[in-house]
Order: sequence, then structure tokens, then C-alpha cells
Amino acid sequence: MGYVAVKGGTFAIEESLKRIKYERVKQKKVLDVDKIESGMRGLVDQVMSESGLYSETLAALAIKQAEGNPEEAVFLLRAYRSTLPRKHYSKTVVSEQMLVERRISASFKDIPGGQILGASTDYSHRLLDFDLIGETEAAVSEWLHEFEHEAGAGEKSLNQDTDLTRLPKVLDYLRKEGLIANCPADDREPDDVTRKSLTFPASRSQKLQILTRGQTGAVTSLAYAVIRGYGATHPTVGELRVGQLPVYINNPLKPSEDEDEAYYIGDIKVTEVEMLMPATVEREKGRKELEFDIGYGLCYGQNETKAIAMSILDKNLEKGDQSIPTQNEEFVLYHIDSVESTGFISHLKMPHYVTFQSKLNDVRKTKQVQSEKAEGGVTYANPI
Amino acid sequence: MKRKQRTEILINGSAGLAAALAQEIKNRYQVTTIEEPNHGLVMVKVRETAQKSLFYLGEVFVTECKVQIEGCMGIGILKGDEPERAYDLAVIDAAYEARLKETAAWSVLLQAEADRIADERKAFAAKMLRTKVDFETMDTE
Repeated sequence: MGYVAVKGGTFAIEESLKRIKYERVKQKKVLDVDKIESGMRGLVDQVMSESGLYSETLAALAIKQAEGNPEEAVFLLRAYRSTLPRKHYSKTVVSEQMLVERRISASFKDIPGGQILGASTDYSHRLLDFDLIGETEAAVSEWLHEFEHEAGAGEKSLNQDTDLTRLPKVLDYLRKEGLIANCPADDREPDDVTRKSLTFPASRSQKLQILTRGQTGAVTSLAYAVIRGYGATHPTVGELRVGQLPVYINNPLKPSEDEDEAYYIGDIKVTEVEMLMPATVEREKGRKELEFDIGYGLCYGQNETKAIAMSILDKNLEKGDQSIPTQNEEFVLYHIDSVESTGFISHLKMPHYVTFQSKLNDVRKTKQVQSEKAEGGVTYANPI
Repeated sequence: MKRKQRTEILINGSAGLAAALAQEIKNRYQVTTIEEPNHGLVMVKVRETAQKSLFYLGEVFVTECKVQIEGCMGIGILKGDEPERAYDLAVIDAAYEARLKETAAWSVLLQAEADRIADERKAFAAKMLRTKVDFETMDTE
């Protein structure tokens, strides 16, 4: 039996689309996009990171349209980005230039520049704040005024010489000590999975690009599996940074090597994680030495759990033991993309009338054969 | 002032400055729009620090505009949906490319804005550093 085209759903679909709008507005409240942008930073950052598109405003709009559903918001943004021309490639962004808003190390207490907590829920009590139900804009303005004019108990002399755009890296310190191997800069042009499909074995640039666009929950779960035993590593965060990175492009009309002739286009907020994992290295005559391996995580926005998880999977994928699921490139990289995984799973509810009909026929045929056999018949079913 | 520093000041500084400088040029010269402010993407290339290799982090949504003044092209490009500022930046860029005499006086204004941004950054840093941990070693027996 061939495929049969059917129609008849148009009216129902139009009414269904009206219905989804009704669900969004039925309480006669309009959620302003700028309010989502200013008050739902966590969701905005997650959606930007998973869609691979940096724009707080577009992410907020997508969240409004998707009624706060991240997978739908990411789908909307990916679809929109596919309509836009890619005009330029940035000059290479280096994280040493970050204007740091938060910077911590779980490995060393005393890091040059210090542990800067910035904005974090890490030390909060997770008690539901019922006062927020009645929060007013006037009260918020008053709080902001007080916050901005707090007298400077914190402006101690020891902080005066800390430049937030020049904080030394923990890794550089370890490299100088010889505890991690130094490596030369690798200037090979990266692959781009948005232009050319992923191939195996995947290049490092493909792996990192897919991990950074990965669905937060999926990336986190697989990294958790690594630590629980599906992969052999116990990582410690060498350094975690959140901050603004400046982005520049070369002059497209008159390409120049002069750094000062570049165009600045703005800052992007990112989270970066450098993860340390002890590893045994074999030296001459079978002598074994303990060193640190480094896993790397970098993603749009303040997405700390995701960046940590990315760094774990990065190092884990480098090991490449195909028998361990989290070290198997195909297993990890093909299953963590939000649009691909949610798209495939949710398509299962779309009409499959013809394919299901054929399965139904097979089931009926088998049953019929079985009952004929039971009645002493001689017909055998073909293997299905 | 070189383009890198100039664009940093005009984008991180007040929108009023870019508008005022561009207006000076629009009042005195013929500005031909080559490319209306339009949206596009810039792919961000980053160097990771574990193996110092390069990869693509994702794209940034930008507004870009191109204008021509006295035969010289200027580009205005910045993050977000900013058609007016992209146009103003393009006019200013073209003015520098064409070496218009007005640009000579702009250095002072741009430097003043740079100083203001630096003061803002300093205040931001002072505030941020209040969250810097001041470890105290506890007594041990």
C-alpha cells in the first residue's frame, strides 16, 4: 500500500492556533517583553545558550510567545536565525579580556585576584520569599537607591588594585608550576556544525560547538552520569568565571592586520569553566607521573551548571572509549541538541496513520497465523 | 582616535553622543545610504584555554548600516536591534574615512566620554569587589 495524501484538518488547525493564543491571554494580562528581559534572566540566558543566538530581547520575545516553554522558545529562535544572513565572523575572542562579574575556584583558596562571588544563589537558603508576591516598583526603586549608595565597607584598600578586566588565570599559574602541560596555540580554522553536518570522529571544534548549544538538562544529566560511574573521573573546578566579553570584527571593506582598526560591536555575557581532573601520564621507561587534565566549558549567559557539565563532557569525550556511553561521541553529540531531541520525540504525536496501519496489519496477520496453528492449520507466517 | 577605541566609546557610551556627532555631519554633507540599517548575524569565534584551539560559540544578533560621504564608505554595526545608532555610527565612520575637518574636534568629546565610562567601570568594580571573599584562618588546636 502506498502513501495516501489526506486533507481536512485546516479548519481544526486554525481553531487550535486560536486556542493556543487564548490560553496565553485568557486572563487579560499582557506580559511585556522588557519585563521578561529584565526579570527572567535565568531563562533568557538558557534560551540564548541553547539556541546559539545572542540577543536578550529576541530570547525574551520567544519566551513570551512560547509561554515560558524553553524548548519551544529555542525552536522559535533557531527558526528565526535561519532567516538572517550571517554577515561577519568575529575576531578571535579570548577569555582573558573578560570583564569579570563573578570568579571562583574550588581548587585553590588563595587565587591571584581573589574569589569574587558576584551574583549567585549558591549561598542562599532556598526559602520561598512570599514578600515577592506584593513587591512594588516603588519598593524596588528604593532598594536600588540604597544599594547604589551603600557606604563602602567593601571598598577596602586591598581591592583597589584589582582590575576586573585583567584577572590572572588559575590555569596559567598551574602551567607555570609545570603541573599541567603547556601547549602552543592551535590556529586551525574551526568547523561549523550549523553549516556542515557533524561527522565522526568529530573534531574538537565540532564537539565544543555542539556542547555549548546543548540542552541544559541533557548536558547536565550526562555529565552527572560521568561522575556517578559511567566514565571515570573526579573533577574539581579550577576556575569558573562569569562576565562580559568584548566582540570585534575586522573591517570588511579594507581587511587590516591592525588590531586598532577593528569594529567593536558590543559585549556578550558568558560563563567559562576550566575543570581540573587528575590523570596518569606515562613517561620514559614506563615511569608514571600524575598530572592534571583540563576540561573546558563556555556558554552564553550565566549558565554555571551547564558550563561545568560541558567541561566534564569535553574531557570525557577526549578519552573516547566507545564502550562507555558518555565517552562515545555519537551517543553524546547526537542526543543533546534541544531542537533535534525535542523535535524528534514530539513528532511521535503527529499523524502516523499509514505507518501505523501497516504495523497493525502485521500484528493482525501474526495473530491470525497463531490462531490457525492452534486450530491445527498448516499455514506459517513470514518472519516480520 | 583609532576605530577600535572610537567604536567602544560610541557603543558603550551614551546614545546621545553618537547622535550629536552624526547630526553635525548630516547638517553639512550629503550622506548617501548604501545599505539601510538591517539585521544580521555575527558568528563568534573563541579560543578555548584547555588546548588553545578555536571553536564557534554561537551567533550575535546585530544591526548593520553602510553610508557614503564624499566618496568614502562608513559602516555602523552593533549588537541588538539598533537601527538609529547603526546609522549614526556609519555616518561617523564615513566622516573619519573621508577625513572631514569636523572629526578633529571630536577627539576631546570622545575622550571625555571615555573618561566617564572609565569612572562608571571603576564604580562597578568597587561595588563588585564587595563580594570578594576575605578569608579568615580559624584557630586550630
